[in-house]
Amino acid sequence: MSATLLLARRNFGRNRVRLLASVGGVALALSLTLALDAVYAGVASQLTTYIERAGADVWVAQSGVRNLHMVASSLPASVVDEVGAVDGVASVTPILEATDTISAGDERAVVYVIGLPASAEMGGPWEIAEGSARVGPGEIIVDRGFATQAGVTIGETVGVLGGEARVVGLSRGTASLLNSVAFVSFDDFQAMRGHAPVISYVLVRVAGVASAEAVAADIERLVPGVTAQSRTDFVAQERLIVTDMSADVISIMSVIGFVVALAVVALTVYVATLARRRDFGVLKAIGARNRMLYRVVLVQAVLSVAVGFAIGLAFTGLLAFAIARTDLNLELAITAASLVKVGLFAAIIAGLAAILPIRQVAGVDPAVVFRRGAPA
Amino acid sequence: MTALTLDVRDVTKRFGDGETAVLAVRGVSLAVEPGQIVLIMGPSGSGKTTLLSMMGALLKPTDGSVHLDGTAISELSEGRLPDIRLRQFGFIFQDFNLLSALSVLENVAIVAELAGLKAREARDKATALLTDLGLGERVDFPPEKLSGGEKQRVAIARALVNDPTLILADEPTANLDSKIGHEIMRLLRRIAKDQGRSVVIVSHDERIRDIADRVLWLEDGAFKDIVTMATDPVCGMAVERERAASAERDGEAFFFCSRGCREEFLGGLRADGNGNARGLSGFIRTATEIVRRAHGR
Repeated sequence: MSATLLLARRNFGRNRVRLLASVGGVALALSLTLALDAVYAGVASQLTTYIERAGADVWVAQSGVRNLHMVASSLPASVVDEVGAVDGVASVTPILEATDTISAGDERAVVYVIGLPASAEMGGPWEIAEGSARVGPGEIIVDRGFATQAGVTIGETVGVLGGEARVVGLSRGTASLLNSVAFVSFDDFQAMRGHAPVISYVLVRVAGVASAEAVAADIERLVPGVTAQSRTDFVAQERLIVTDMSADVISIMSVIGFVVALAVVALTVYVATLARRRDFGVLKAIGARNRMLYRVVLVQAVLSVAVGFAIGLAFTGLLAFAIARTDLNLELAITAASLVKVGLFAAIIAGLAAILPIRQVAGVDPAVVFRRGAPA
Repeated sequence: MTALTLDVRDVTKRFGDGETAVLAVRGVSLAVEPGQIVLIMGPSGSGKTTLLSMMGALLKPTDGSVHLDGTAISELSEGRLPDIRLRQFGFIFQDFNLLSALSVLENVAIVAELAGLKAREARDKATALLTDLGLGERVDFPPEKLSGGEKQRVAIARALVNDPTLILADEPTANLDSKIGHEIMRLLRRIAKDQGRSVVIVSHDERIRDIADRVLWLEDGAFKDIVTMATDPVCGMAVERERAASAERDGEAFFFCSRGCREEFLGGLRADGNGNARGLSGFIRTATEIVRRAHGR
């Protein structure tokens, strides 16, 4: 172990109270940022679950519509055959989609209502907890979480799209913090809309080795009035909505976390350096160069931040693990991007926090070693 | 002419300017030979510590120069001084100034490591040194668990680990009781003489005069009178040359604590059958060593 690391490590661990304050403060501040990032990433992940699990390789929407959330797509029903005729398309499923509420007694919840044809190959629930995975006329499949919360069981009715439907199945994994997905029959949905010959989206499965992106491009080129995106692109667009909506909140909380962590580390490293001024004087007197002492201070700050970061990460991971085991429709997703961002934050914090103590060290007079018992 | 370890030439140190200026050291000159132990005494505020700081390259003189092994260290840039302090000086302080965050071994090893030794080599060297100084069982102790004498021995080990030319000691016995203080000084003397290192000590402690080869009195920033110490070749006691009984033999001057020792010396060394002479202090020395000690070297 180098002299620098040895001194930094010993100075770092010498005072337990200071160590706890420093590491704890950093851990809390960074986990605040990490957890918030994770919440938003979790929400984004939940919101795109339907797109990812619906089974479609390409999503075809009204021209200019690139999202599922907070938009409405309306396409003439004739588009379905046109899309199906494009080379590389293996199968198509039209769906109707609207954001609505479902109600049962006093319980109301926001849902994406999906209207599914009887022969739908795609777009239906991917995991059924109880009951049927197929919906017929007058039937509905709702998320199990909503059913539990509303006290609804198979065979009971819920209000949806201005009418009522009988619950025939309970799906799993179809709820997010904001809403859930409910599935009704295509005909019911169309009837509730006055039998207009329109659909919302065409879900496309591509043939064999065909590229989803290439097929999407071909559809856009050959079928007028549509926007076609591969599943990956559609998911990315959907995530952008969440990111755009949450950017300000995340930025504010990140700045708060950053400032708190910076203040904690800067203060504790400064106090630790102040307490060791005489030691730094002794080291200077016996021949240590300033740059070596600066490194000691910097390594101390880095250690504080690194340990705090690790604890903050572990804490956020535990929180995510614990939340996943509750009935909350909340998912904490710790992403690589968030780790890189918070890691960079941590590195900048360590660097900034060391500036003031380094100035302290620079000002230490090595002749302090001859001052009897006086604090340096 | 003997090469000088330390040569302080007409050094002055002034703090502040104008009417508030304080002249801490005024035109002091001092030459220290290899292996020589110089004790600088004087009242508080006499400039001892300022002088020591200048000798140790911790403070630049206002006027004059300080030369170490022929190099004018007072003229060197700040950037070059850490290396000089690290390799050429060993510092021993009144408050020991051990780093409390480190163990005894680490306190010594870190100085060797700063000088470029690899961690393992530094630890081995520090261990050997501490063992030599009787601290082999204490290497993993934190400094606060040591007695004052042990702390000062650790400080001595730290001062010696880079084989310095000059050891500068600031009130090294001030925080030690009389017996331990004297033991530490005898240890320092043994090291200086065995290893040929020069030692400059600043102290109020009258009891350590006997380990010094020269005693200087600093007052109001200047040396008042210089006392040169010598060792009585018969009994081994340190004596002030200016006050001691003296005698010449083969052109060399010898100094004695009493007329009795002088007579005994002039009458012939009290040699036993093996050529050894027994001094009153109970040490057995060879006749050659007695003569060498008489020269204060």
